[in-house]
Amino acid sequence: MGTILSQTIAVIIMNIRSLPRRIWMSAAMVLASAVVVAILLAFLAMAKGFETTLESAGSDDLAIFLRDGSSAELNSVISKEQVSLIETAPGIVKDSEGSLLSAELYVIVDGIKKSSQTEANIPLRGIDQRGITMRKGFQLTKGRMFATGTNEIIVGNGIIREFDGFDLGQEIHFGKNTWTIVGIFSTGGNVFESELWADVKVIQNFYRRGSSVQTIRARIESIDSIESIKAFIKNEARLNLEVQTESDYFSTQSKSLNYMAIFGKVISSIMALGALAGALNTMYTSVADRSKEIATLRIIGFSNISAFFGTLFEALTLSAFGGLLGAFIAFLIFDGMNASTLGGNFTQVVFSFKFSNDLLVQGILMALLIGLISGVFPAWRAARMPVLLAFSNQH
Amino acid sequence: MNDLFLIYKNLTRKKLRLFLTSFAIFIAFLIFGAVSALKGSLDSGIEMSADNRLVVVHKINFTVSLPYAYVNKVKQIEGVKDVTHANWFGGYYQEPSNQIVALAVDPASYFDVYSELIIAPQQKAQWLKNQTGMLIGERLAKVYGWKVGDRIPISSNIFSHNDGGHTWDFVVDGIFSAEEVQTDTGYLVFHYKYFKETQTFGGDNVGWLVLTTKSSSINEKVAKAIDKEFANSQAETETSTEKAFNKAFLEQLGNIGLIIFSVVFMAFFTILVVVGNTMVLAVRERTNEIAVLKTLGFTSMRIFKMILAESLLLAFLGGLTGLGVSYIVIKGVSEQLARFLPNMVLTTDIVLQALFYMLALGLISGIIPAVNALRLNIVSAFNRG
Repeated sequence: MGTILSQTIAVIIMNIRSLPRRIWMSAAMVLASAVVVAILLAFLAMAKGFETTLESAGSDDLAIFLRDGSSAELNSVISKEQVSLIETAPGIVKDSEGSLLSAELYVIVDGIKKSSQTEANIPLRGIDQRGITMRKGFQLTKGRMFATGTNEIIVGNGIIREFDGFDLGQEIHFGKNTWTIVGIFSTGGNVFESELWADVKVIQNFYRRGSSVQTIRARIESIDSIESIKAFIKNEARLNLEVQTESDYFSTQSKSLNYMAIFGKVISSIMALGALAGALNTMYTSVADRSKEIATLRIIGFSNISAFFGTLFEALTLSAFGGLLGAFIAFLIFDGMNASTLGGNFTQVVFSFKFSNDLLVQGILMALLIGLISGVFPAWRAARMPVLLAFSNQH
Repeated sequence: MNDLFLIYKNLTRKKLRLFLTSFAIFIAFLIFGAVSALKGSLDSGIEMSADNRLVVVHKINFTVSLPYAYVNKVKQIEGVKDVTHANWFGGYYQEPSNQIVALAVDPASYFDVYSELIIAPQQKAQWLKNQTGMLIGERLAKVYGWKVGDRIPISSNIFSHNDGGHTWDFVVDGIFSAEEVQTDTGYLVFHYKYFKETQTFGGDNVGWLVLTTKSSSINEKVAKAIDKEFANSQAETETSTEKAFNKAFLEQLGNIGLIIFSVVFMAFFTILVVVGNTMVLAVRERTNEIAVLKTLGFTSMRIFKMILAESLLLAFLGGLTGLGVSYIVIKGVSEQLARFLPNMVLTTDIVLQALFYMLALGLISGIIPAVNALRLNIVSAFNRG
């Protein structure tokens, strides 16, 4: 057993050291598996980045109320009367000013996207001080908070990254209304950073919404409070609302780019088949190239097991190297790349591609799978190569 | 000996290698065809837009509605041929996840403005009479299996019916199709008047106007005249060509589209490079034989042509099968994705591009060994081997 192991190690070293002789064929295999891995990772990192941006926005201790059937903040409408009713709902945290509620408006305005110089939808959220304190991770990075009752506005970091014309101190026009940018805020990278925030009363007035709002957020005592709030809504005919935790709401929305991950997996799997064909070519060439060497080793007493593993290991080395290269290239190009797309609210969600160890593992596994399959068959051929034929064959 | 026979023999000398190489090319062109068709489907709104069609939306954003009175005002503007209007209904069927593009439109003018849509005259006449009727696009009808005469409940995630719910009942009065397969028919239209009378809020507003100009050459003039008409009013407008509007809308889906397609096309070219490399090496192995052929009296030019023909043959063998299979795949996938995407079509454009890349692959991977063979010195070749 010991000899077989040492033989195998010797053959593996020999194979690896003879790689430069087959540099172009080997490079082809490395490149082929690198491409497959790079593509897979690019798509997965995109889906992951989008998901993280939305999921990290949701809190478990916030309930969000939407009009029944509206499924997104944009489509919802809630009257002033309904807001007052919710204030009396059970399970909501109260302080000296009453229930911890934030009644918010969500309208869409146009901004000029840096990447395409075309107009794109940006959400303008009407909110008050109480609502802002409910956002976890909220921080003003520049300037100051908007003053209540004025046409002052604060801008999320994501908007600054992806859109032109939102510099601090600048005046912006939406239709006939003029706003002054007084602050820039961060919420730790989540979807709220893709928004503009201003005083809810001013937006109600500008957009002729009367006293109605679109959503209510409420701090709840515990996650179980949701059930009692649901029962409360059911028993009150005037409340045609649905309630869920904010994390559930965003978790549903975060799945909307999952088709990207699926598309990426399908495309890279099909491409892996092509790469596999290329890799098999490389490995068969390698076996042919070393046929004399393999035969010589067999004659001086090396087992065919060592020939088998020597070739298999060569394939795995090449494909793993390709996988690492592909992952590295994908990481260099895509990690942290800013992108934006339409989210569930019909507005731009700004997010960054995100790599994680888990993705890297998926990429390397894909590469090793290519290596394994493209190694086994040629290795089998190497192990069974008739010694005499190898010497007579001048390829 | 016949040159063709020699080429054939060279090509098939290592059957496994021939199979593997053409399989890699096959995969590359399969992906090229399928992804190009997908891109075409996403871009169909731009490609299929009419030259003389303009879209008028609220200046703040296209989701903000316009006063109904604008319809008649726009009609008066010089150069305008037909005007229609639409409201976004936010429709879904049974479950909110089954989203349906449903538009409340002006029935009399809608099909004048969208003249590429085909509807049987008696179906249209029936719909015009029936205020609770709707016309559905062919693709939508296929997805849900709806037939003329069916009564279908469509719900809205925005509006409430004045009977208390969010659901409207419609009768399918007809199914419209389009002159070209790429034109999207994945939506439904119903009477604006019915919508206005049954929903609980919103008043006399329309979502956006669509109009045709008398000639595409006056588009810009008409657009400016419209926006000027409403400048400084409570609802300022922004008028653009349908093409520009659809393009801007697609841009909203974002650079992710650009990223996807550039990634896939980069991969396509990398596979071609990898395969080309293999093909070059395969011929290099035969240096000895080429020297023998030269010794036998084959002219350099003849060998040059033979090698080039061989690599072209290989490129087209894999490429054409790949493209052929992509045609079948596209048909199947297009039906599977009918709920989400306009028809995917392998257009002549895509086929021509693919043929060009096959030619380029064959020429580039053949030219290096072919030139080498052309220059090959018999004596040194035998010495080397």
